[in-house]
Amino acid sequence: MNRTNKGASKDALFRFLGEGTDKLIIAVLLGSICLFVLYPILRIFSQSVLVDGWLSFDAYADVWQGYRTSLWNSLFSSVLTAFFCTFLSVAVALVMTSSRGWVRGLMMGVILITMVSPPFVSSLAYIQLYGRRGWITHRLLGISWDPYNCWGVIWMQSISFVPMNALFLSGILTKMDTASIHAARDLGAGTRAILMDVVLPLIKPGILVTVLLTFVRALADFGTPTIIGGRFNTLASDIYIQLIGYSNPTKAAAMNVILLVPTLIAFLAYRVMLEKSDKLTAGRGGQGTVDLKLHRCGAVGILAMVFSMLFFVMMLLQYGSIFASGFMKVTRGVYSFSLDYVRQLIKYDSATIVRSVVYALIVSFVGTFFAMLFAYYTGRRNVPGRRFFDFLVMMPYMIPGTCFGIGYILAFNKAPMKLTGTALIVMACMLFKQLPTTTKLCSAALTQVPRTLELSARDLGGGRMAVLRDVILPGMRTAFFTCFTHNFSSSMTTAGAIIFLINPGKKLLVFNLFDKVYLGEYPMASLIATLIIVIVLTVEGLVWLFSRRKGKRYVS
Amino acid sequence: MKKIISALLVLVMAMSLFAGCGSTEPEVTVAPTEAPVVTEAPAAETEAPTEAAPQLSGTMKVVATSEAYVDLFNKFTEETGVAVELLSMSSGEVLSKLRAEGGTPSADLWFGGGVDAFMSAKEDGLLEQVNFEASAELDPTYKDADNYWFSKGLTIVGFLVNNTLAAELELDIPTSWADLLDEQYAGEIIMSNPAISGTNYGVVNCLLQVMGEEEGWKYFEALNENIAYYGRRGSDPKNKVTADEYAIGITYLDGTIDALLEQYDVTIVYPADGIPYIPEGVAVFKGAENVDAAKYFVEWLYSGDENLQMLSQIDQKTAVKVIKPTMEGVELAYSTDILVDVDVALFGSQREDILAKFEVLMGDKAATE
Repeated sequence: MNRTNKGASKDALFRFLGEGTDKLIIAVLLGSICLFVLYPILRIFSQSVLVDGWLSFDAYADVWQGYRTSLWNSLFSSVLTAFFCTFLSVAVALVMTSSRGWVRGLMMGVILITMVSPPFVSSLAYIQLYGRRGWITHRLLGISWDPYNCWGVIWMQSISFVPMNALFLSGILTKMDTASIHAARDLGAGTRAILMDVVLPLIKPGILVTVLLTFVRALADFGTPTIIGGRFNTLASDIYIQLIGYSNPTKAAAMNVILLVPTLIAFLAYRVMLEKSDKLTAGRGGQGTVDLKLHRCGAVGILAMVFSMLFFVMMLLQYGSIFASGFMKVTRGVYSFSLDYVRQLIKYDSATIVRSVVYALIVSFVGTFFAMLFAYYTGRRNVPGRRFFDFLVMMPYMIPGTCFGIGYILAFNKAPMKLTGTALIVMACMLFKQLPTTTKLCSAALTQVPRTLELSARDLGGGRMAVLRDVILPGMRTAFFTCFTHNFSSSMTTAGAIIFLINPGKKLLVFNLFDKVYLGEYPMASLIATLIIVIVLTVEGLVWLFSRRKGKRYVS
Repeated sequence: MKKIISALLVLVMAMSLFAGCGSTEPEVTVAPTEAPVVTEAPAAETEAPTEAAPQLSGTMKVVATSEAYVDLFNKFTEETGVAVELLSMSSGEVLSKLRAEGGTPSADLWFGGGVDAFMSAKEDGLLEQVNFEASAELDPTYKDADNYWFSKGLTIVGFLVNNTLAAELELDIPTSWADLLDEQYAGEIIMSNPAISGTNYGVVNCLLQVMGEEEGWKYFEALNENIAYYGRRGSDPKNKVTADEYAIGITYLDGTIDALLEQYDVTIVYPADGIPYIPEGVAVFKGAENVDAAKYFVEWLYSGDENLQMLSQIDQKTAVKVIKPTMEGVELAYSTDILVDVDVALFGSQREDILAKFEVLMGDKAATE
């Protein structure tokens, strides 16, 4: 009885402060996006056109004249990666959603583990397995071939982008309107016809979104071509070399701006496609599985099964070799078990491990709330420049991480905004680098909170803050956990953006991983990668348990 | 228009907000408290350079080529009370970062890496002059004439050959740079991109100096035909050879490479027609937060022989003896006669031109001038 009274007075207080807090939140949200996304990107741009204070497009002329081959290479390999990867992803998603029981659980498990993908080590595992002296290619099959070329890059990128795409596509598949499948079946359509004429056309926008996002990711990926490209250069790997070798931030910045052109085109197309694919899933509950017998779907079904099996086997081999390498020593071609690397890691890097987890947790909490608030304010409220900010927040997705990091140094190296050398700049960079994905996740979740609910809360006298606290945030509960785990996983594995921001005394695990890869200490790199995967999976597991417990209490 | 103005307003608001946050960050406030030390340190230096350390405080931040130097820096901490934080970074990365930071470096000391990057940094005015008594004892060939950088050793370069692969592919073990041009090695030699690897830049610069511009470039064009690819990591040649991926790697040679003999079936080759080398730099960053500690470290390192001995052990190299010929306790493992006769000063001044030419030579890049 007292509760209502208390609640009412609390609400009154909130209403009183609410309007002010509301404005403050908007100001902080948009202000920090300007500061941590727009400003660093503008600094990259100005770096590319200002030479000693004068406007000059020399860097662009240089890049256009000298690096066109790399640009074509980038486009060529990214287009192929986008298609191969999407093909694989669709196959995996179909197989996963149409299977049941433990098979489905196993596949889901592999996808969840491989979603955590520490940078670089996958490429190193690829060399170990399929190199000129690879365990599979040479030791097992007795062939020696050269994997250091563009096909290696395309294949490697294709399979490493599958887990996320497959999860996205199976989300769409399970939420698909099953009525049309039943209708088709009732009308006498065969399984093959249902797949080709009903299922695939229905998820077409989702497939196109996958193509475009993969294309953008492949364009920005510098790790894979750096390690297995051989003589094959892409613009992203050239940017990396400009920064790490020629120490020429100006040229790197110009390359980056050029690379933005195809990225932006793909991105605009993606926006159009996404609206269509959102309509597919909007407001429908998941069925869980798709009632489809793939092995009866003719050649296409068989192909899907074969390719997804190939994918799962390759992933198991790849991660198996990463896990194993951290515990093995090689002496004259003979491998033996060893805990030396584990000891070394514990001795020198315990502080680094703790620091990495703490940073990632902070970024996950702040980043998730930031994304939820941003999704709400741009999605539901008339914030000035809504579309502009919505676009701005996607920018970090399109820029290779190394340049985003350099942008941060350029932007924050002088008082009154001197942040270089602090922990804040590293965490801010991680947070805003991941914002494109987390805001998308939150926007999608927001569509599950009916607008009418929000309006009725307002009509019943709820202040703006009360609506946010009692309607919006609880409604996005599931999204909170998804965002949190995504943020955490990315913070533990994003290397490019923070390589240049890390300072002595503030080392992170992923930096350590990069360093070991650079120095060629593969077993140590594998061990760090394994540790990162274990940490991320543990945190994800805890979050999952927590969300279930909370969920139960919520219902009762 | 209205929207833009409101966005700008928001930006200004947020900036002041974050500036407020920034000033409470401990890193920023450390500098003023250390300021008084500035006047004391030089006095202590001139009076008794090798005796008790001057009054130093705080933390010295170091970027080094490896974390293996931790023992050396621990010794420094024990003797001076200055805590050291170490981060491993390649010299190209350091230079990029320095340039982007625009005079507000986030580290104090730069330890190791090809001296060419140090020369470029000096050109850009990013380094601090360090004058100390013992610097007179250092061989002037391997230090900056104005004391902006010093060398901590020499990286010497040769070949690492995989015996199993060489036998399988019926390759002779090459013994000289000239040998590498033989067509039997086509696609079996690996070196790193000289822009990334100071070691391999040393090879290019030294051989160009020894052979002369014209002959030198002809040599590298011919060598290019045999190179499988140019690694994007300095460690690639060594790793690819030990992993049985390629037969011949052009790599640095030191105690760690000697140790590979026990683990792998490989041969180390000191090329008969001259061994290229590149000094490894040490310098203090201009405008760093704890310049005094870093300056004192440089003096400390070169003044006491036991420090250099320790460095020599960690590096598994004996070239410190070349850097400071008067030092005791380290004997040079090789005669300096086997090193190519080059002008070290050219490493820096020719860097940009050589790398630009080499970038085109490697293929797929068009010349821009």
